[in-house]
Amino acid sequence: MAGSEPMPALIEVDGLSASYGRVAALKPMHLRVEDGEFVTVLGPNGAGKTTLLRAISRLIASRGRIRFKGRDITALPTHHLAKLGIVMVQEGRGLFGEMTVYENLLLGAYGLGHDGEKIERRFEQVFQLFPKLRERASQVAASMSGGEQQMLAVGRALMAEPKLLMLDEPSLGLAPKVAEGILDTLGELNRKGLGILLVEQKAPLALKLARRVYVLSSGSVRAELPAHEIKSHYDLARFYFH
Amino acid sequence: MPSSVELIQSLVNGVGIGLVYGLIAIGFCVIYNASGIVNFAQGVFVMLGGMFAYSFLVQIKLPLAVAAAISIALVAAIGVLVQILVIRPMWQRKAPMFAIILATLAVQLLIEQIIILTFGDQPRTYPEFTGGGPLKIGDIAIDYQLFWILSCGALMVGLLTLFFNKTRIGRALRACSQNREAAALLGIPVGGMLMLSFALSAALGAVAGILITPTQYTSYSVGGPFGVNGFIAAIIGGFGSAPAALAGGILLGVVQSAAIVLFGAGYKNVIALTVLLIVLLFFPRGLFGGLAKRA
Ligand SMILES: Nc1ncnc2c1ncn2[C@@H]1O[C@H](COP(=O)(O)OP(=O)(O)OP(=O)(O)O)[C@@H](O)[C@H]1O
Ligand SMILES: [Mg+2]
Repeated sequence: MAGSEPMPALIEVDGLSASYGRVAALKPMHLRVEDGEFVTVLGPNGAGKTTLLRAISRLIASRGRIRFKGRDITALPTHHLAKLGIVMVQEGRGLFGEMTVYENLLLGAYGLGHDGEKIERRFEQVFQLFPKLRERASQVAASMSGGEQQMLAVGRALMAEPKLLMLDEPSLGLAPKVAEGILDTLGELNRKGLGILLVEQKAPLALKLARRVYVLSSGSVRAELPAHEIKSHYDLARFYFH
Repeated sequence: MPSSVELIQSLVNGVGIGLVYGLIAIGFCVIYNASGIVNFAQGVFVMLGGMFAYSFLVQIKLPLAVAAAISIALVAAIGVLVQILVIRPMWQRKAPMFAIILATLAVQLLIEQIIILTFGDQPRTYPEFTGGGPLKIGDIAIDYQLFWILSCGALMVGLLTLFFNKTRIGRALRACSQNREAAALLGIPVGGMLMLSFALSAALGAVAGILITPTQYTSYSVGGPFGVNGFIAAIIGGFGSAPAALAGGILLGVVQSAAIVLFGAGYKNVIALTVLLIVLLFFPRGLFGGLAKRA
């Protein structure tokens, strides 16, 4: 290999912390996702998982550094991130409820500008992943089932051509089968090279796909380890309650 | 008891003023939906539209279309200025909503004072766009200006509906109204959209002011009443779509005019607010239910 420099991580947060008033929801933490890696953050209610993703997305003020492919993006406002390829699927999906499926998807491609052909191609790819969305294209988003809404949320994020997809508990409130379907799709996308940072509370499914896992509890990283180790050896509760 | 001719005449007049309320109401909705801010300086845009049009038409003697276009552009620029100088700093410092709303009220008073100092406190008006009226149908007289108000109002609502539904920017504005964080995450510049919403509603206010001034007058103080009536119309319409706001305005205008004929001019506002109360009792979200449906 030519350079001695290691490849910069897709995303790397360094000493990231955030608080709400005097409550420290996230204590200074390190985390990285390599290019094309699938990383899961596990933690119980109130661990700071949402806070972490919102801080990375610049939706809340935080301390510490965030680097994307080696570039310091800490000072960027939220709306600059999609263009770089950082897209988040929010907790609760964050759909435009009164708009149709088609309009939601189209807004996902906002950063692609007026490039009609490119947008068409994205539509095709998303519809292939989620054929349901094609059938429901003219339906108002809020009137769809929870599973369909989550598909739409993921599909809309994919319209933006992300390089890093962050998801905040996409399985929340879904029947196990439906959640499994969505997580399987994430695995498929990851095999095609998409970097994924998945936040979950329920372990089994998320662990099956992940290469590395961070265990978060009370705002701190309790462990960082390869996913297969958790499957075989660790009782997650041990991390949670220490 | 007023005669039926008087009543019908008042309805005709009410539709005209109601359309103007409707345009103002749309201005309220555009900003509110993009940001949650109720912009009480909305009426001032109406006043400025009339004032500028008067200057360009009567004092500088520009042709109507040119005078109107420059006036609308100027008022839109003032709207942007208000957003940049007053709203944005507060917004970025996460000022509470009621403080921002109070600041818009302060903006109204400030602009009124500036107008007194520069244009004076005299009422002004200019001729109707088409001379020779009114049109007589039996004993009922219809000002030609009413047709201008009708057609411009319809044109505005049509253009806005197209803009909000068929253009990338318009769709992005709607996205901001439903979920600002999600919009930002998709790359939509929420702050820029807020600025655009101020430009758009200021322009709408200016159009309303330019259209209505020939049927009455403009002066530094007309903004307040126009603002209040536009706000009531927006609430009646449900703070939703442009056609709903326009319908709210027409209902309010017609009821007000009928009230003037039936009970005298002094009861105009009592009746308007009574109508608002009745509507809200039966339709707490406005007639078309947009209010509070948002995320
Ligand atoms: N807006 C807020 N104001 C004050 N405290 C907050 C706020 N949002 C979160 N917190 C607190 O910060 C801590 C972390 O919250 P966070 O939402 O990040 O947890 P989480 O891991 O996403 O939980 P869950 O699994 O329930 O979604 C919690 O103690 C929570 O009560
Ligand atoms: Mg959460």
